[in-house]
Amino acid sequence: MTTPSSGLAPGLDNGALIKRLLALTWRHRIGCLKVMSLQILLLAISLSGLGLTGLGIDFIRKVVQPDARAPHWPFGLVPPSHWSPMTVVAAIAGTLMLFALVRAVLNFTYTVELARLLQRDVVATLRTEVYAKLQRLSFRFFDDNASGSIINRVTSDVQATRLFIDGVIIQGLIMILSLAFYLVYMTSLHAGLTLICLSTTPLLILASAAFARMVRPAYAHNRTLVDKMLLVISESLQGIQVIKAFAREPETDARFASAVREVRDQKLWIINRLCIFTPIIGFLTDINIIILLGYGGYLVIQGELPLGAGMVVFAGLLQQFSGQVANISNIANSIQESLTAARRVFEVLDAPIEIASPPNAILLPRSRGIVEFHHVWFGYTPETMVLRDVTFKTQPGQCIAVLGTTGSGKSTLLSMIPRFYDPDRGTVLIDGLDARRYNLDDLRRNVGIVFQENFLFSNTVAANIAFGNPQASPAQIERAARIASAHDFIMGLRDGYNTVLAESGSDLSGGQRQRLAIARAILLDPAILLLDDPTAAIDPQTEHEIMSAMDSAMVGRTTFVVAHRLSTLRRANWILVLDRGRIVQAGTHDQLMVAKGPYQRQAAMQVVDDESLRMLNSPVEVPGTGGTL
Amino acid sequence: MKASPPGLLTLSGPPRERDRAQRPLDMSLIRRLFIYTRPHRTTRNWLTLLVILRAIQLPFLAWTIGAVINGAITRSEVRGAVLGALGFGLLAATTQITFSFRLRLAQLMGERVMHDLRRELFGHLLSMPMSFHNRTKLGRIISRMTTDVEAVRVGVQDVFFVTCVQGGQMITSAFMMLILDWRLFLVVLALAPVIWTLNRIFRMRLSSAQRDISESYSRVTATLAESVTGIRVTQGFVRQEVNAGLFERLVRDHSQYNVNAARASGTFLPLLELSSQGFTACLLLLGGWLVLSPSHHMPVGTLIQFFFLATVFFNPIQSLGNLYNQAMTAMAGAERLFRLLDTPPEWTDAPAARDIAVQGRVELSHVTFGYDPQRPILHDITLVAEPGQTVALVGHTGSGKSSIINLIAKFYLPGEGEVRIDGVPLSDIRSPSLHHQMALIQQQNFVFTGTVMDNIRVGRPAASDEDVITAARRLDCLDLLECLPEGLQTKVGEHGSGLSLGQRQLVCFVRALLANPRILILDEATSSVDTMTEVRIQKALSTLLQGRTCFVIAHRLSTVRHADQVLVLDRGRIVERGTHVQLLAQRGIYSNLYRQFARLGLGGIRPTP
Repeated sequence: MTTPSSGLAPGLDNGALIKRLLALTWRHRIGCLKVMSLQILLLAISLSGLGLTGLGIDFIRKVVQPDARAPHWPFGLVPPSHWSPMTVVAAIAGTLMLFALVRAVLNFTYTVELARLLQRDVVATLRTEVYAKLQRLSFRFFDDNASGSIINRVTSDVQATRLFIDGVIIQGLIMILSLAFYLVYMTSLHAGLTLICLSTTPLLILASAAFARMVRPAYAHNRTLVDKMLLVISESLQGIQVIKAFAREPETDARFASAVREVRDQKLWIINRLCIFTPIIGFLTDINIIILLGYGGYLVIQGELPLGAGMVVFAGLLQQFSGQVANISNIANSIQESLTAARRVFEVLDAPIEIASPPNAILLPRSRGIVEFHHVWFGYTPETMVLRDVTFKTQPGQCIAVLGTTGSGKSTLLSMIPRFYDPDRGTVLIDGLDARRYNLDDLRRNVGIVFQENFLFSNTVAANIAFGNPQASPAQIERAARIASAHDFIMGLRDGYNTVLAESGSDLSGGQRQRLAIARAILLDPAILLLDDPTAAIDPQTEHEIMSAMDSAMVGRTTFVVAHRLSTLRRANWILVLDRGRIVQAGTHDQLMVAKGPYQRQAAMQVVDDESLRMLNSPVEVPGTGGTL
Repeated sequence: MKASPPGLLTLSGPPRERDRAQRPLDMSLIRRLFIYTRPHRTTRNWLTLLVILRAIQLPFLAWTIGAVINGAITRSEVRGAVLGALGFGLLAATTQITFSFRLRLAQLMGERVMHDLRRELFGHLLSMPMSFHNRTKLGRIISRMTTDVEAVRVGVQDVFFVTCVQGGQMITSAFMMLILDWRLFLVVLALAPVIWTLNRIFRMRLSSAQRDISESYSRVTATLAESVTGIRVTQGFVRQEVNAGLFERLVRDHSQYNVNAARASGTFLPLLELSSQGFTACLLLLGGWLVLSPSHHMPVGTLIQFFFLATVFFNPIQSLGNLYNQAMTAMAGAERLFRLLDTPPEWTDAPAARDIAVQGRVELSHVTFGYDPQRPILHDITLVAEPGQTVALVGHTGSGKSSIINLIAKFYLPGEGEVRIDGVPLSDIRSPSLHHQMALIQQQNFVFTGTVMDNIRVGRPAASDEDVITAARRLDCLDLLECLPEGLQTKVGEHGSGLSLGQRQLVCFVRALLANPRILILDEATSSVDTMTEVRIQKALSTLLQGRTCFVIAHRLSTVRHADQVLVLDRGRIVERGTHVQLLAQRGIYSNLYRQFARLGLGGIRPTP
């Protein structure tokens, strides 16, 4: 199902899984023990209640029909002979009520203890562990796994893993215990009747198991079909403008119709089978009653079985017995379900953290900002290299611009610096030492990043800026915001810095989002700053707002910037031109402008033609040079 | 100003009132739901018949057990007991057969109604204009299509018919008890309201506990979703430990609500059981008195028969409470579904609208328009684009450029004035006909899951592989697409994953070219393509524009230079119009914009010859 390259641990086989799950249960043994002893008590009390009812009937019958069998008083508790029959009946009824009360209290305790054990101890702990692990997994894991599947591992898969404890271990033991209890009770009433009545049970178990095996894959398939249908919906609505613009409504509707029909038809297949199986199982249970009535009736008539404590109690026991037997298929289902889910949970918990601090990592409180690539090769898959033999070196405080076509490896190059990925061959060096030798957290704290499409959390503006340092003071936050030219627009928001952003900051403009991202990056005052084309996804009209934010953010740091604007490129100390993962040109703007090559071609694009320049005919300030046109 | 609000990674508001999980039964909703069973009326009628049959069969089964014990067995007739047992068997078998068909028909009905509802909803969504889609969140639609439709299905297939079975079962068994002995029946009657009230009270407490659970759970999933989406930020800023701590608190908080709910249901279920045990005790006491007292002489067998019938009578009470809950959930779901279905499109094509073969003359005369009619965005816009002309729209954000395009594409209708294509008012042209001859490329276009090839074919589903390749070659980007891992057959994931922003945009260009439109609209189409790639496709783009009427919004004013007309917009009005050269000479807004562009972009570099 999953290959090692998806960043997950290989799936465990069933044996190993069960061992792991048993260990998990052992961790919560005290809670399990509590819950189970409560169950046993409950079982004993409900059986006594049933026995008492039968006893009551027999007693009354004996009084009315003196030739009937004498009631059998348990534990030799014969009522005093001076009690009137009515008093005895009242006493039995009173005891029944008392039992019921105790049972109610125990039942309450059981329900609450079970919830504590499962939800608070097992699920909460496991979720915390899986989440904490997720936070540490490398980017490759998130590249290779759909976010829906990752979220499911923390939510539904953890719940289903928990099923192993309550649905398999606890339920299983209870089932075995109660079946044994019932069996002993019934046999003590009449062994022959018990044997005959339960003759259908093995059939019941086999039929349930066979049915479960047949429909389980069908249900799983149904879930996949529903997911497919949902995908059609979400895509159609997100791409509604494209659909409308090309008038593709009929095609889209047809696509949806076939997806919905598939879901329905597959469900009808399941229903057909369900409707044959369920009544058959029901009838198998009915057979028990037929036997009880015929054979049991015969026994009562022969005087071998009391009517109340025998026949009526037997009927009650049979019902409960079938209930527990029906539970077997539930338990079988739970085993399957919990193993599948547990495999997915352990895949995460056991996933190797591909990128971590080495033992004896070197601490890096403050980098000097010297970045060097030494023959770096890298590919997301071994077949296609994205970076090929990249070599360069920066000095502290320099600005390096990276330029290249779509897919040439610009973003990849940047993400090697904070070790989001490690090179396949070659080395990335920071301050002259292999980046892999540093403490990873230290290294990343020294690198500030502004991504192409930045993610903001639905939290306050302040919390978003202080994301890298939740302890940051308001003054620090404001300073960062000012450097990123974000302070003014933040003050214009509803609650200033305390404004809560909508999901992914969708209530801000692209330029505002990027300025917050820049503020977030420089709050930590990083020695190295990475700007991965922050203007790519934003409204072009507000692009200039970011330009000045970028400019002031770069001051005093080694900066890598993916950029296309000549104004930025001109100011870079060094420009790397990438093409399919190779550095094809490198140099300063002035050097590259006079060399024939891709740089010159793209620069020409951005240049205003002479004619227009002449017509503009008022002097244009040239930033950085102070010159005029 | 706080750096981090106490203990949360994400903040989300409380759910809105109209998203209530349940609502009381409502006859008008039920009647409307009933309409959905009409196409399947044969199924429905058979089902009703089976339901009645089963409501009689179930108590009869219990009655038979009691009767056999009460009759043949107490009278010590072996033959009678065996015959009774066989009779019971026969009855049981027929009851199971009835059950099989009842189950099948009910589920069939549920699935069909769900299918029909989904189809209808989706069709309705497709017919809604852009204004609707722009303000509707996808999550809402998805929950209409899943949770709400599912709730209605349960309502149709289970709640209604199961309630009928169970109610009927209670009535029949009550009737039987009444015939057996009216005094014992009074005990049952007295207890029933007690149980019903208990049921109601705890259902309410339980549902409030459930609400707490689902609210805290949505906090968990919201945080989780953002944590996964924002993982690159988290790791980039070394926030793993902090986030893990915050999440743990959230999860612990959620588990506490679960325990609270368990406490509520842990009180309710045992109490319910207690009352039915109490009933047994009362029955024993009263029955005992009736049997023992010399003046009554009730047979013991009647007492036993009563025990069996009482079980049949009381069993449904607990599940009826459950069904009532499901019914209220179904009501809330149905109400939301119908509200969505009843939202009329703000406009539809006029009945008289017709198909036209577009030549390409686009004309706006005195158009005023606002997304909110109270606040117009465009004022008195008049423009004419002759077939084959390129018109550039220039202006700051919010000046109304995109609104003009939305009007030309008939995504919105103007408030005042008229948009005409080849002299025909847009309102007289059928939207599909217009859209088949028009293509729109935006800054961030949507790509669908499927292959790159499939995505390009959205422009013209009938196009062959050859056509697609030819279109890509004409745009001079075939090699860029072919160097994808599997070339044109590369699979695109959700949200275009697997393609970079620039690659996605290339796909959209080819898609538009394949459609071979008469009118082409480029709304910041090259903004997310990096300049290096833009250089590649710039020349090809002019091929794309050739011979079509084009509207171009571009921030790189270099693209605007060759337009036949440049329209400068400011706060919804056209303030300057002319060619690039004319406007530069005017030294107005356009030349200022151009100067700004020059300052940012080039800094005075001359191309080397």
